[in-house]
Amino acid sequence: MEELTQFAVDFAGSLKAEYAEARFQSDVKEVVILKNGFTEALAFQESKGISVRVVAGNSLGFASASRLTKKAVRSAVRQAVKLARAASKIPGKGVSMSECDLGKANVKVKPVIKFADVDLETRVQLLKEVDQCAQESAAKVKVKMPARMLNFTTWITEKNVVTSDGARVHSVTPRVALSSLLTALHPQSGIVQRSFNLGGTGGWEVVKEWNMFELFAEEASSLSRILLEAKKAPKGVVDLVLGPEVIGLVSHESSGHPGEADRILGREAAQAGETYLKPDSLGLRVGSSHVNVVDDPTVKGSFGYYEYDDEGVKARKRTLIKEGVINEFLHNRETASVFRVTSNGASRAVAYNREPIVRMANTFLEPGDYTKEELFEGVKDGVYIKNFMEWNIDDRRFNQRYVGLEAYRIKNGELSEMVKNPVLEVTTIGLWSAVDAVGKDLEFQAAYCGKGDPMQGIPVWTGGPHVRLRKIRLGGA
Amino acid sequence: MKKSEIPTFVVNLALEKGATDVVAELEDQQRVMIRFSNNEITVSKFYQETLLSVFLMIKKHRTATVLPVSSTRNLKKAVETLVKTAKVTPPADIYVPLPKGPFQYNPTLQSAPKTSLSPNKLIGYVKDGIDGALQEGAKKVAGTLIASKSKSTLCTSGQVYATQEGGGLELSIRAFVSDVSSGHSVSISRNEEGFNPAEAGESAGRIAKAAANPTQGQPGRFTALLGPLIFADLVNQIGTRTSAFMVDAGRSFLTGKIGQEVACDKFTLVDDPTVADAFSVRAFDDEGVPTRRNIIIDRGVLKTYLHNSTTAKKFGAETTANAGLIAPRPWNLIVQPGEKSFEQLLGEIDNGIYVTNDWYLRYQNYRTGDFSTIPRDGMFLIKNGQISASIRELRISDNMLRIMRNIRDLSRSRSWIRWWEVSIPTLTPYAVIEDLNFTKSGM
Repeated sequence: MEELTQFAVDFAGSLKAEYAEARFQSDVKEVVILKNGFTEALAFQESKGISVRVVAGNSLGFASASRLTKKAVRSAVRQAVKLARAASKIPGKGVSMSECDLGKANVKVKPVIKFADVDLETRVQLLKEVDQCAQESAAKVKVKMPARMLNFTTWITEKNVVTSDGARVHSVTPRVALSSLLTALHPQSGIVQRSFNLGGTGGWEVVKEWNMFELFAEEASSLSRILLEAKKAPKGVVDLVLGPEVIGLVSHESSGHPGEADRILGREAAQAGETYLKPDSLGLRVGSSHVNVVDDPTVKGSFGYYEYDDEGVKARKRTLIKEGVINEFLHNRETASVFRVTSNGASRAVAYNREPIVRMANTFLEPGDYTKEELFEGVKDGVYIKNFMEWNIDDRRFNQRYVGLEAYRIKNGELSEMVKNPVLEVTTIGLWSAVDAVGKDLEFQAAYCGKGDPMQGIPVWTGGPHVRLRKIRLGGA
Repeated sequence: MKKSEIPTFVVNLALEKGATDVVAELEDQQRVMIRFSNNEITVSKFYQETLLSVFLMIKKHRTATVLPVSSTRNLKKAVETLVKTAKVTPPADIYVPLPKGPFQYNPTLQSAPKTSLSPNKLIGYVKDGIDGALQEGAKKVAGTLIASKSKSTLCTSGQVYATQEGGGLELSIRAFVSDVSSGHSVSISRNEEGFNPAEAGESAGRIAKAAANPTQGQPGRFTALLGPLIFADLVNQIGTRTSAFMVDAGRSFLTGKIGQEVACDKFTLVDDPTVADAFSVRAFDDEGVPTRRNIIIDRGVLKTYLHNSTTAKKFGAETTANAGLIAPRPWNLIVQPGEKSFEQLLGEIDNGIYVTNDWYLRYQNYRTGDFSTIPRDGMFLIKNGQISASIRELRISDNMLRIMRNIRDLSRSRSWIRWWEVSIPTLTPYAVIEDLNFTKSGM
């Protein structure tokens, strides 16, 4: 496909575009949907095409074509240039791309076990068995699971990115993901639900590492115990231990998103919103010195893995918060140019027909020195929130709410009874500033991060260790 | 092969290879999207796609695909793969043959007004929106303009062959007078006559200006006046959760409530893609069944879930012509109006909160309906029937069924809403909700 992407860039040049970038992208997916133990459908999805993004007349134009012919590409380029030039009728500050060391590379993630070697029957059978496993686990304590949704997807993404200033990157990335929603019911105790995602980069070996039987049995058991055992959660000021799943989401929502440079510039203002951070917020203290949040696309096997972004820039680890202080924003070449820095390779698109925008990859709180036991030992009377269902955050990424699902009272340094739905409603700075100890463990969860218009749900990992927070108000105000 | 012949070719080939039921739909779509922020255009995008969707059954064994259209050879290969896969797919819990046509369709619903994709014209709309907001006092304006046109051709093994045109204009615009004072508005229409970007801009600008200098809101239970944007979001939740697929999957707070009073008797919710001036007009669903007006909630009583032929059989009902091949879905949600003006609704609230918009609605439990969402843009304290102050930083933390039952009144005027947060076009009034729970961050 390099010939066609190069053709697109050259043709844009012939139309006097100041910058051009062409991307071929193919995403071939196989999906199994298992609902309540039955195969709802096996689905194949093929999304394949070429896009071109240009700077012309100081404005940005983007067009895509699903037909892989020179005629279709020529038409797309003309549209992109035409739109960009027309846009310059509303005067603006103009668009430019930062100078960068651009990649010339071929990056292929080779699966140990190819998806093609695991037939669809085997995949369906695996899902049916783990579904059964969850039901049996709950049935031991007379809890029913009336609704179970499992959505299992494998896909291979191939990209070819060429830019008018020299990037030439070809990549092939296999990914696999499982989204689950489990509903547990006990006639006298009510209904609880748990939603979780698994995901990674690689072949079928990734699935083997998930230990799905153990996981689904544990999840069903946890839901059953919440139904049968959980007591009312305390309200008021307590010490709190948050598990990696919660800390991963906090890292993503209240550290990653606020630090996206396109948000800071207001580019997402009408959709995903803005941020409490400003262009001059580098150096601002937002948490205790124990807080180090990073975003790292280069974690092998991760759901958000990549080596080069969709502008051809080499990916690297970004330290967003260093010892409690805002350290770095996430950039593409456009925002980097405005900030007069070099792009740190955060530009990604979810499909050929989507514009590359600033995205997180794998965002997590870096581990500290404490064992999990040491974190609990320091709490006389508190709450441990292991995971959650409900959560949200305002569009400035400052006020957030997490409602615990599996959660426990901590008494004199030890886990005590389960508690139901503890509500953590807190500001970003309030939360990070309360951190007084960080565990040495590190776990990741898969997620699809939503942003952009049209919406682009992109694979990411969120993660972190167990973390202790002092004097947090539970139950909202 | 002509594009229009592809669905028939696919259906016939699949039947020949052993499928019992086949749906093939080819969609040709062109779309221009112009995004703007800080009063200037940030990017202009053009999309052109031709996609083929195929759903195939061998009795209880189902497969589906979506793929770009290429050569006849590739189409044959795709069909062969689908049939082969269906043969080894474990059975679903139920088999219902596709509905048998041919059907009669209303031709006025099959065609759409012509939408101009001319960059100059569309940029003119953007300028009108931005200028409208600035004239009302906004300092910066952001948003998205979308112009689209599409044509789809559907063929099924149930002797259906039909075409559907679509398209329209959408502007979503947000105006700011400061970082924490903003207003949002939309204009959506199938045709240019009904599209009013300047008015949307002015509305966003007015809300933003009124929202200037907000103070921290106080938590508690209040009578709430919800504007069309936020009420459309809640109505989208209700409409989506009436899909029988959602009910079956454990994702609906309306499970097991057919025939029950689920809302105040002033609340009637209809799904209707047959209204000529609606945004998302359709003559038939994805199984080729002629669409119709479905009353989902009639004066507070849940009358039906939304069905395709398969979910209908499973639930002992008839299809409501809302297929979705796997999951039924609403087309156009319409809330029946109330009798009072906005001013009357406002005037009857002694101590309350007026919320213009929200985002990030998330459930603690889909089955019980416990959720929270975050008001954004203008939010105002109401005292003695008048807006008394701009407030901020509150969250609505409540239960969907409780809210439905606590609807006190609806306005006479209604607006069509669709934007980033509200995906199903919804015609909605203002709503007054009693005893709505507001929370805020504790630290």
